Amino acid sequence: MFAYVVRRILSTIPLLLVGTFIVFTLTAISGDPLARLATADVDEAAYERIIELYNLDQPIPVRYVNWMSSAIQGDMGPAPSQGSQPTFNIVMDRAGNTARLAIPAFFFIAITAITLGVYSAVKQYSKLDYFVTGFSFLGISLPTFVFGLLLQVVFGLWFFDWFGVRPFYVLGMRTVASHGWLDMVRSHVLPIVTLWLVITASESRFQRAAMLEVINSDYIRTARAKGLPRRKVILKHGLRNALIPLVTIWAIDLGLLLGGSVVTETIFAWPGLGRLLLDGIFQQDLNLTMGVIMVISLLVVVFNLLADLLYGVLDPRIRYE
Amino acid sequence: MSETPSGMSPEDVVDDARPASIAPDVPSDAAVLAEREGMNITSRSFGRQTWDRFRRHRLALIAAIVLALLATAFIVGPWLSPYGFSERDVLNMRSGPTAEHPFGTDTIGRDLMVRTFLGGRFSLRIALIVALLTTFIGTVIGAIGGYFGGTVDTIVNQTINLFLIIPALVVLLVVGVRFAASPNSIAFLLAVLLWPTIARVVRGLFLQYKEQEFVLAAKAAGARAPRIMFRHILPNTFGPIVVNATLLIGVAIILESTLSFLGVGVQPPTPTLGNLIEQAKGQLDSKPSAVLIPGGFIVAITLCVNFLGDGLRDALDPTSRKG
Repeated sequence: MFAYVVRRILSTIPLLLVGTFIVFTLTAISGDPLARLATADVDEAAYERIIELYNLDQPIPVRYVNWMSSAIQGDMGPAPSQGSQPTFNIVMDRAGNTARLAIPAFFFIAITAITLGVYSAVKQYSKLDYFVTGFSFLGISLPTFVFGLLLQVVFGLWFFDWFGVRPFYVLGMRTVASHGWLDMVRSHVLPIVTLWLVITASESRFQRAAMLEVINSDYIRTARAKGLPRRKVILKHGLRNALIPLVTIWAIDLGLLLGGSVVTETIFAWPGLGRLLLDGIFQQDLNLTMGVIMVISLLVVVFNLLADLLYGVLDPRIRYE
Repeated sequence: MSETPSGMSPEDVVDDARPASIAPDVPSDAAVLAEREGMNITSRSFGRQTWDRFRRHRLALIAAIVLALLATAFIVGPWLSPYGFSERDVLNMRSGPTAEHPFGTDTIGRDLMVRTFLGGRFSLRIALIVALLTTFIGTVIGAIGGYFGGTVDTIVNQTINLFLIIPALVVLLVVGVRFAASPNSIAFLLAVLLWPTIARVVRGLFLQYKEQEFVLAAKAAGARAPRIMFRHILPNTFGPIVVNATLLIGVAIILESTLSFLGVGVQPPTPTLGNLIEQAKGQLDSKPSAVLIPGGFIVAITLCVNFLGDGLRDALDPTSRKG
């Protein structure tokens, strides 16, 4: 097992390096940080400063190696579009804001996906099953930005006044420190619901399929035949095994959630990683863009690895040599 | 359709179109029994069976019809409309839905119905190009990796893994901001990023089929690799490929509209459902219909495509007993 973990980590590193190199190259060739200066009235020294900041006089592979070797040590350079603060600090700060949405969303997703998936599998072809199937089809077909805007219309325009009280905030983040508990909750609800719907839709469908496969297997029939009550068989024998594939999906989804949703954060004006990425791209801030992408890719890779390892831990039939 | 010879069991007829050549003239008990009971056993071609199974999938059938209607509306609609695509009705600027302008007008008085239909036309066109191109690239690469194995397969597999760890939306944003202004360039970009999903499926199927006897027989008969791959193995993988290609249309519509919504996709004046929403989101408070109508069309298309894909999955599965 230990050898397998080490091998998996070692084989992931080159993949991550090649991946970030490709993204670095794409970022470098698609944004020109000097273009912004052309419209402003600046002297030669400003050009020199930007060229020096990004090593623009060097070939891209050299720039990548430079950037990467200092990024590994936690130094991602200054971010000019954010008042030249250290990129690393900004990214960490925004990652915290993203986690405020990602972690509660993840728990709601986990609970509802299991419940819906298991119930619709156990009561296959019942009304409830059709309802859950319809729900997941709708959720899969609904683009995040359409659903987010719909929530804004509903709670910002149609139902913004419940007995003189505004139920939810449709824009911006409010914290306990700045606005108190109630406002904190009211500003978090809609973005969390947006993240919840899209992921729950696909996860509950997945869980339904996994549960159906288990329910129809021989050992479940054996357990029923020897007289165990149906409920016990489903929950103890069935669910345990049907959870294994879902846990790996959870790991992957948690990685994606923590990396931030560009769309959700843009719609709800949430100062998280996704918004930061979009800002970095639009303002042609190479350090910032690469910093965010690095964190996102790292999260995806680490949680994918975790998913693989969890699979082995949870399913004793799988052996690693 | 002809009456089957007595040499086929009812199960064979349902499950496989080729049983007659495998077991000719051996009357099975089931067939004898069926005849005695006065049951009518008919043989059906694969296409016929597929259609029969598909027809029973009521939702998929409705989805196909709705999709056809939407496509017709997108193609014919702008042509029938009394308003031009960029014609301005200055007396009715920023209006919500009215009798004259069923979808309302935008900030400078252009009719949103014409613009939405044209947007739908472009969105659908992009999605179809993406589905075809992605399927083509993914199938060829997946087939090569799966069939040849060894080093070739390692390279293919690692490339697929590489694409799967790079978040597609991130790359699209980075590259899209500079290069993806036209419908064709964004379709190309999406195809370049989406092919691994198909390649993985095709590779898996090829790995499985290449060990089977009919491939060995083809090899023994002297067929070369390309012929075995595309004439012998590929037809077996037809079902999953078609299903995935269908579902890709939905994925492409969502990705393209998301990009356009974020302002890095197809640029105006070319309308797509996504950039119509992007242009209207500023007036969400005063005129939500301008956002909700194109949004509704996106959901309708993706929903239909997903139901269609689901129906095809059952219909194209030769082991399915339904129908």
